[in-house]
Amino acid sequence: MKELKESIIKRIKANFADAVERNDFKDNRLDFSVKKETIPAILFYLKDEMGFVHLSDVNCVDWLEDGELEVVFIVWSPADKIKVFVRTRLDRDNAVMDNLDMIWRQMNTYERELREMFGVQFTGLEAPEEFILEDWQGPPPFRRDFDSAAYAEKTFWHRPGREDAQDVRESIADRDGEEIPDFAKKYSR
Amino acid sequence: MMNDKNSQKIVDIIQNWARKHSIWVLAYGTGCGAIEIPPTMTSRYDAERLGVRGAATPRQADVLLITGYLTVKTMKRVIRVYEQMQDPKYVIGFGSCTINGGMYYDSYNTIKVLDKYLPVDVYINGCMPRPEAVLSGFAQLQKRIAEGRANGAQQYKDNLEWYRANQKKIIPNWIMPDYNW
Repeated sequence: MKELKESIIKRIKANFADAVERNDFKDNRLDFSVKKETIPAILFYLKDEMGFVHLSDVNCVDWLEDGELEVVFIVWSPADKIKVFVRTRLDRDNAVMDNLDMIWRQMNTYERELREMFGVQFTGLEAPEEFILEDWQGPPPFRRDFDSAAYAEKTFWHRPGREDAQDVRESIADRDGEEIPDFAKKYSR
Repeated sequence: MMNDKNSQKIVDIIQNWARKHSIWVLAYGTGCGAIEIPPTMTSRYDAERLGVRGAATPRQADVLLITGYLTVKTMKRVIRVYEQMQDPKYVIGFGSCTINGGMYYDSYNTIKVLDKYLPVDVYINGCMPRPEAVLSGFAQLQKRIAEGRANGAQQYKDNLEWYRANQKKIIPNWIMPDYNW
């Protein structure tokens, strides 16, 4: 398995100069970060030349602090039993990349989801504007700067009686003489 | 004779007695709570001994169970289903999501207070309510029917404008048919 992974890394690096690999995951997993211009080429290469014929998932990570959105493509090789992650970063305010559903037809569905939930635009994507949400008028809801609680507060009625829900963690810790670790304090309300 | 107040009362009592023993529930689950319905209906808890059983279409059903969270998108379908149902009809709010939002209190796409949009006759709390709780809710509904207090449908007809305004507040693109009861 190790040699196989090394050979895959070697082939990808030889063909795509901008690919940065990570190989510290578990056994059957590889990871490449590339520029967004390289994405169609590397996915075509993985599918047609290297046997990564199965598209497992297309996902998105919101790196709010860096001002970037990272789109992650996960492909799987049934013959080698290896999973390859291909990542690319897009500008958060101008998240545009090429439509890729000619490589895998089912990519169309993932692209519609990313367009609706993260606001990633795919140029040339032919699909109805709405995917899961109906009549949605707010910002893309899966972006981290979308404040779900504030939106719900504004849009829906709330039954009174939940406002006094207190964070009881500290009082319980005091009572039991328990120490709250520093990392946990950050998350208490 | 039929206009006589006392004889109408007797008719009502007989009507309510019959209604409470044949509660047909629309087989439509809006959220995760629908998973508690199969054990309630099948032999372990056997809701049919109370006269509770499933109905295939809205026009055959008496009870609309809102099982758990209700998204804005499902809300549209639920309103259509409720308005197609024929009298007598009752709504049971099932699980804490219908009461105050439950664990989805800060979700961008689920309603938090069901009785602003549909008239609720009985609430069953719990997340999820177990089949015992569901049966207790049905028993409560039967009690209310027998007492003539389960009149949510009448309330909906009388205050239709108020309910409509609330519904349209969360459904901006209103393309629903108007049913004429």
